Amino acid sequence: MIPALGLLVGIVAGLLFDVSVPLDLQPYVPIAIVAALDAVFGGIRAVMEGIFDDKVFVVSFVANVLIAALIVYLGDQLGVGAQLSTAVIVVLGIRIFTNAATIRRHLFRA
Amino acid sequence: MTEEKDRKESEKAEKKPASGESDVPRFRPIVPSGGKRFWRAMTKRPQASHLWVGVLLALLGFGAVLQVRGDEEDALSHARRDELLQIYDGLTREADRLEDEIQELRRDRDDLASSAGDESVALEQARERLRQAEIIAGTVEVSGPGIQLTISDPDNQVSDTTLYNAIYELRSAGAEAIQIEGQGNDTAVRIVAASYFLPADGGVEVSGVELEPPYVITAIGNQENLEESMRFPQGVMSKVELADGEATVTQFSELTVDTLHEVTEPEHARPAPEGE
Repeated sequence: MIPALGLLVGIVAGLLFDVSVPLDLQPYVPIAIVAALDAVFGGIRAVMEGIFDDKVFVVSFVANVLIAALIVYLGDQLGVGAQLSTAVIVVLGIRIFTNAATIRRHLFRA
Repeated sequence: MTEEKDRKESEKAEKKPASGESDVPRFRPIVPSGGKRFWRAMTKRPQASHLWVGVLLALLGFGAVLQVRGDEEDALSHARRDELLQIYDGLTREADRLEDEIQELRRDRDDLASSAGDESVALEQARERLRQAEIIAGTVEVSGPGIQLTISDPDNQVSDTTLYNAIYELRSAGAEAIQIEGQGNDTAVRIVAASYFLPADGGVEVSGVELEPPYVITAIGNQENLEESMRFPQGVMSKVELADGEATVTQFSELTVDTLHEVTEPEHARPAPEGE
């Protein structure tokens, strides 16, 4: 319940406050969001499988975001930022789809 | 042993509920479905340990909304360098192409404008030449300064040659339009290039029209020059006086030559082909 409320509060805050993303962080925010989505889908799946652990979720969320941002940062330094961010998006996208498929099976048994 | 095997089977069934057509019994009564678990987690009394999860999700929502709104504001601000280069390249090429087009259109416009100017100049020149030709051909009324030469000839002694000489002298003095009027029978003829003088009974014949004295010759041109040309010794006026006539010259600052010459289509002459 608290997580769902937190998500709502975040969205409302984003809509209310007119803050733009700092310029230095701009390349990393989209990747970080995708990585966080991956963690969220993994968490929902864990809830449905009855093995959700808040500590695991927090660690995986933070680690996902940090690692994704780090990879993009490294890619930018090496001059392959665009390609690496594409790679990260692809991998995370695959994981999100896998998690979503599992969630779907849990929900609809299909 | 069998118990352990059963449990493995049940785990398999739990992991892949889609393949639920096996004859292994389901464990639904024991293991609640994913949806139920989710619902239970949502409606359960809030746990303090979930606070961090909530904070992280709030951050996620906040960041996502910011990013989406930023995207709406400026699509270029977080494009990568090579993307920017590509966009810049494309724009440069587009700008070059448009620049070329501008120049082409500008050239077209200049061409059209100059040709239109040429046309209007040519039209103006053609009008001017038409005006001159009309004056020379005697098909329009002409007004301007000039003289009137009145020749009274009671004895009908003034010959056609004298009149012709008068016209000739007027022309050499720069007369631009001349008409001759026979007040005796109230007829008038415009003198043009094709005019001719013949003797006739009781007067003269000019271009096929009989005129009876007294004659009035109206000429447009420089008044002094015209009058001078009539008065020089052995000139027109002395010839008229020799024929017992009387000639008077009057200068006018504004005269009108209102007799028109009817142009007939040339029957034999035609413009010679150019360049031959």
